[in-house]
Amino acid sequence: MNRALSITVYFLTGVFFLLFLAYPIWHTLKEAFLTSDGNLTFAYFLEIFRNPIYREGLVNSFFMGLFTTLLCILIAIPLALIYNTWNFPGKGILNSLVIVPLILPPFVGALGIRQILGQSGALNSLLIDLGLMDSSTPVDWLGQGQLFGIVVMNALHLFPIAYLNVSAALANLDPALDEAAENLGCHGIRRFFRITLPLIMPGLFAGSTIIFIWAFTELGVPLIFDFGRVTSVQIFSGIKDLSGNPFPYALVIVMLLFTGGFYLLGKRFFGKNMELGGGRATSSSQVSDATGGMGILCTGIFVLVILVALLPHAGVVLLSISDTWYATVLPSSFTTQHYADALGHPLTLLSIGNSLKYASLATCLDLVLGVAIAWVVVRSKLPGRQILDTVAMMPLAIPGLVLAFGYLAMTREGQPFDFLIRSEDPMLILVIAYGVRRLPYVVRSAAAGFQQTSVSLEEAARNLGCPPWKSLFKISLPLISANLIAGALLAFSFAMLEVSDSLILAEQQQHFPITKAIYALVSSLGDGPNLASALGVWSMAFLAITIVGAGIMLGRKLGSLFRV
Amino acid sequence: MHFPVASPNLRNPTHECGHVSVSAFSLFPGALSATGSSPAMVSIHIRGLTKRFGDVVALDGIDLDIESGELFFLLGPSGCGKTTLLRAIAGFHKPDEGTIKFGDEDITKVPPYKRETAMMFQSYALWPHLNVQKNVAFGLEERSIPRAEVKRRVEQALAMVKMEGLGSRKIHELSGGQQQRVALARALVVRPRCLMLDEPLSNLDAKLRIEMRTEIRRICKEFGLTAIYVTHDQKEALSIADRMAILVDGNVAQVGTPEELYRKPKSELIAGFVGETNLIEGEIVFISGANVYVRTPVGEMVGRAVDEKWKPTIGEKATVSVRPECLSIHETPQAQNTIAGLLTESVYLGEIAQYSLMADGSIIPIRISELNPRRVLRNTEQTFYTSSSPEDVVILPSN
Repeated sequence: MNRALSITVYFLTGVFFLLFLAYPIWHTLKEAFLTSDGNLTFAYFLEIFRNPIYREGLVNSFFMGLFTTLLCILIAIPLALIYNTWNFPGKGILNSLVIVPLILPPFVGALGIRQILGQSGALNSLLIDLGLMDSSTPVDWLGQGQLFGIVVMNALHLFPIAYLNVSAALANLDPALDEAAENLGCHGIRRFFRITLPLIMPGLFAGSTIIFIWAFTELGVPLIFDFGRVTSVQIFSGIKDLSGNPFPYALVIVMLLFTGGFYLLGKRFFGKNMELGGGRATSSSQVSDATGGMGILCTGIFVLVILVALLPHAGVVLLSISDTWYATVLPSSFTTQHYADALGHPLTLLSIGNSLKYASLATCLDLVLGVAIAWVVVRSKLPGRQILDTVAMMPLAIPGLVLAFGYLAMTREGQPFDFLIRSEDPMLILVIAYGVRRLPYVVRSAAAGFQQTSVSLEEAARNLGCPPWKSLFKISLPLISANLIAGALLAFSFAMLEVSDSLILAEQQQHFPITKAIYALVSSLGDGPNLASALGVWSMAFLAITIVGAGIMLGRKLGSLFRV
Repeated sequence: MHFPVASPNLRNPTHECGHVSVSAFSLFPGALSATGSSPAMVSIHIRGLTKRFGDVVALDGIDLDIESGELFFLLGPSGCGKTTLLRAIAGFHKPDEGTIKFGDEDITKVPPYKRETAMMFQSYALWPHLNVQKNVAFGLEERSIPRAEVKRRVEQALAMVKMEGLGSRKIHELSGGQQQRVALARALVVRPRCLMLDEPLSNLDAKLRIEMRTEIRRICKEFGLTAIYVTHDQKEALSIADRMAILVDGNVAQVGTPEELYRKPKSELIAGFVGETNLIEGEIVFISGANVYVRTPVGEMVGRAVDEKWKPTIGEKATVSVRPECLSIHETPQAQNTIAGLLTESVYLGEIAQYSLMADGSIIPIRISELNPRRVLRNTEQTFYTSSSPEDVVILPSN
């Protein structure tokens, strides 16, 4: 049944992945392991490990990933436990607000945090005003621990991924498992470490993997913090050199090996798929009302975390409306001039238009591919459908930089795909790059939809004389439209804020997307940072609306979008 | 996969006392005396227990006494509050009113982890990240028992549920019946003051269910455990309970031994819930000694009033309850409790034949079960007659 259609879809999507997922990686491999005259060499690869600068970069990247992940877990677990144990004032709205930091670009937020934590920033000014710091010897929070600042920034951005995963894992747990421990005398923190934590490990691992890979390969935040001693920035700086330099490619391969290795290692130790034995869960989870002080405490913790996570972005908003902000807690004078200037600046308007164009085309591509793949994976009985699913989810585990590099290499002049950058316009390749990177969100949400929609609904339509492809359009797609919209919104918002591909593939000003425009403005003199903030605020407001919308539409299932 | 019950003489629960307690001590020497004392089983006393969920009253002032060493059943239709009551005794629900005592100790406000009960959950609640051995050892580790003794007691407990040698298995490698046994071992090994079983057999197939219920009774009796067993399956309750309580809408409707509840139900509801019965409404016309005569639309019926608190009077409305197996079927009118009618259904099941007899003036057929039928009556044109001894007919006050 539908076998021919399934095989066709399988084949076409397979070719797509070969061309735009496997081939770019292969191309990067080639550049890293072949000399200019085509001989195999490990010299570049080994040089990475010999060169102390590259080594330091790798170590720093590793710590950036590790500490970000740990910090995310530390923030997320208490929040998720509170959410699953108590009812407290404002629970619903706070639960959706918690995911807002995820969508606000950390790259933009970093602008704000510089303003807050810098030597003449808001925090120091506050401490001086309070008499806790000597104004002649301000602490340079970022200078002394730039990596620390980056980790905090990353964690405040990425902790919602851990929160969503842990929270979903807790919700899926049979409450009797905790009760059985309680019944046998195990209570409180002890019960959490002996029973609850091991049981939510798979969910925690799924979230942590994405966070680790994301942070390990993060490019935007270290760039804004001007911290060059991490691998991602070293790769990015490498392409400014002459095109013949093989080291960035070799670095990319090393990075890919590391992420793959961490992923497999983690999967081996924590990702064991534990099937719950016995029957279904029989008691519903016991969420009790937190009364009085306890309720206020729960609400307070949520509000505090959200406020701190939004602090960098609040800094951006202030920066965008500040006239002068130097060595004071708040800007000393305000202006709306930057918004006017931003709109007047040729770079900003153009970049907004470009980003909208690239991101919406990429979203369309994702919808077509995502629905087709999800349909084959959920509905068909093809033997290799799980492989297709795994491949479609791989972009979550492959650093954006790696792919961006592959695309750059395969579209060079003279390469078979150079037509994708026609007369210096990177539109086609950027649409494909964004599309591949954000495809997992659409595949996951469409698959979730198909799984919830009984196949007999389609069968009933077919039974009444409707051909398979038509029943898909008339029955299933309308039923899963909420999932599709949510997945598409996520794909779109993340595409709008894509950093790696945008920075690497868009080379001329008239083709810059928003992120590259912000990057260009930040590094320009004068009121550049203010203009960048104004542009950032515009995009943040826009994205906050989309993520809250997606959250409302998907509810708790939102967490499943961030699982490998 | 299922496990055969080890010893054939355990199959009949009425024989457990003599043989089994002896074999238990010989099979597991020291099983009961490891700490130098037998398990601290308790009697349980519940007074005025009330639990509300929002506007729903789940438990409505329950009074109940469960004796030490008793296998006590809570039976009732779904939503009657039986699981809520069990969870309240285990400490998972805080009652709004009332008290629970273990012996003389008021444990109403004691948190679950300090009550020293052990519960067997309907879903078994075996922890998938721990293997069989570690699941069973958990409660002992929480009680800071020395490692060597933990090991010994876990082995004993696994042997007791016939799972010896399977300690290193993962939970998901076990069949449903095996998981059930592990859950039982995990609860027993801590020597609880009270064992609680929440529909422990509902996930098993019919054959295994019969085997396991006998096993559970055997083990409870071996250890002299106070056990509370929740089920909606009356056969389970009738077959192995010492006593049982029927809960209806958060109230205890009747407490008694299985025979009492089956033979002497105090209300139509109990008569209909425990076993099958024919309920016929009518009016009391004559009383002679223990016999009460009731005029009904299908003829005059004679039976006994079983509730001592109720004194039937002539002219009072009453309901006749007569179980299908108490009625016999004949081709000629009989002396007592004879209902005339036409057969609307005949079902032959080998050991019994079931008939539906539609009496004149009735819209509900009378059900009759004939044990060891020598022939099946199928003639739908002929009038047949029932008969029953007055001892088997229960006269109930009309609601």
